[in-house]
Amino acid sequence: MKEKLTKVEFTNLEKILFPKLEIKKVQVIEYYIKIAPKILDFLSNRPLVLNRFPEGIAKKGFYEKDAPQGTPLWVKTKKSYLETSKRDINFVVCNDLDTLIWLANIAAIEIHIPFSKVGSREKPDMVFFDIDPEPPATYKEATSVALLLKEKLGNLGIESYVKTSGKKGLHIIVPIFPEYSFQETKTFVHKIGRQLAKEHQLVVSEFNETKKPGKVFVDYLQNSHGRTMVSPYSLRAVPEATVSTPLDWSEVEKGIKPTELNISSVVKREKDPWKKIFDNKQRLTA
Amino acid sequence: MERVAKVNIPKRPIWLGSLTIGLVNVPVKLYPMIYDRGISFRFLHKTDGHPLKYQKVCTKDQQVIPWEEVAKGYEVAKNEYVIFDKEELEAVKPESDKRIRLDKFVDYFAVDPVYFDRSYVLMPDKSAEAYSLLLTAFEKKDKAGVGRLTLRTKEYPALVHAYKGALVLTTLRYAYDVIEPQAFEELENLKEPEKAELDLAIKIITDLSGEFDITEYKDRYKQKVQELIKKKLKGQTITAEKPVQEEVKGLMLALRDTLKQLEKK
Repeated sequence: MKEKLTKVEFTNLEKILFPKLEIKKVQVIEYYIKIAPKILDFLSNRPLVLNRFPEGIAKKGFYEKDAPQGTPLWVKTKKSYLETSKRDINFVVCNDLDTLIWLANIAAIEIHIPFSKVGSREKPDMVFFDIDPEPPATYKEATSVALLLKEKLGNLGIESYVKTSGKKGLHIIVPIFPEYSFQETKTFVHKIGRQLAKEHQLVVSEFNETKKPGKVFVDYLQNSHGRTMVSPYSLRAVPEATVSTPLDWSEVEKGIKPTELNISSVVKREKDPWKKIFDNKQRLTA
Repeated sequence: MERVAKVNIPKRPIWLGSLTIGLVNVPVKLYPMIYDRGISFRFLHKTDGHPLKYQKVCTKDQQVIPWEEVAKGYEVAKNEYVIFDKEELEAVKPESDKRIRLDKFVDYFAVDPVYFDRSYVLMPDKSAEAYSLLLTAFEKKDKAGVGRLTLRTKEYPALVHAYKGALVLTTLRYAYDVIEPQAFEELENLKEPEKAELDLAIKIITDLSGEFDITEYKDRYKQKVQELIKKKLKGQTITAEKPVQEEVKGLMLALRDTLKQLEKK
């Protein structure tokens, strides 16, 4: 009898999940298998939120917090009270390759992670700046703001990390010691945003300004319990099958395009700019 | 020739009688030769693992009926039966005259195998000499004898021929039990094949002609089930394994690679 490489029973491998590029589920699973050595560090011990597209991205997907019916017994789950849902949620936790493959098999194309880990839900280990351009501002403008933000944090002695959102924005992360409350990280991000907005026309820092055309919003609001960002190396449910990809700051300066970073190109990338990001935990000084 | 393991030899004959050709009378014992040794399962109660049994249930009131109250019925019209009890049928049972009279000799395959029902080995019953004589004569003439045999409640046409140094009896099916292929409409308008095509087909058949060895064919289902049984006995759980499709092969390649990388970490 053949050796068994995975506990997962594959289903509907022929299903087309990205119709424009005719990408089948088997390719999505293959992507997650190949990216596993890079993505698992970011998923592990975090209650996940899944964005599932069983009928492909052309049909409506759904966000799923609770482990779905039929979740195999070997998939780790974690009950956790969620304020926004006002109840206990049985989250999926993905600490191993099999669980990741299983997620891909249930067409969880996007995997979203919270900023704190199981066991210390109230103490985030990441600070999150969501750089979100409002048309006609584009990715290009988001890039400029990201670089300004990097510089600003650098002046405070804080090293930051950047990834594409896979759409038009950029995500900037500062890994921190889990010593702060979400209120503190949120306040920190908001403060930095306000300073940038003061110094630069392009930037807005307040929620009610987010729809101002041509502006770039530094979103601080996600720094809350239960809020998430798309995981580094997660696929995005967009026609180009992009990947939210960790970048070197030099790549941001050169203007690398988010669509160049997709299901087929990212697995070939040698770079892993966020590798050992959690070995560089920092303290917020502002 | 490979000797069959002793365990496979049936212990008791199922019939005793004699084989007769003209004036030669050979007492013989009939042993079953055909077994169904495929995998077989018992039905169990899923929740407690106990075997299930069959019961005869009356269709009128769902009552379980004991054997004493069971009779045989022959359906003469829809829901209309002629009823028999055991004694009545016993009385008309064909009488076994304990004798197989071979009154005709034919080529074995003059009888098409579609009529072959079940084969039995004939063994001498304190009649080694006569048995040997008959066997040798069959072998020399390469013929099969035709006769009749009554087993339990049924009378069968039967063929006796020499097989691997023994006399083997094969009961035959009645003509009414075998479908006549020409009854199919599909065969009515078959066209004559083109000569060139026919020649090609004949050539292929000629080229691929070979010896037949039944031992080349293994019961793959049985082998797989036996492997599963072994695993279960060792306490391993079994997950249904579907045949590996092409796409899955690609995934397995990627998986091997990733597992190697993760190991290194």
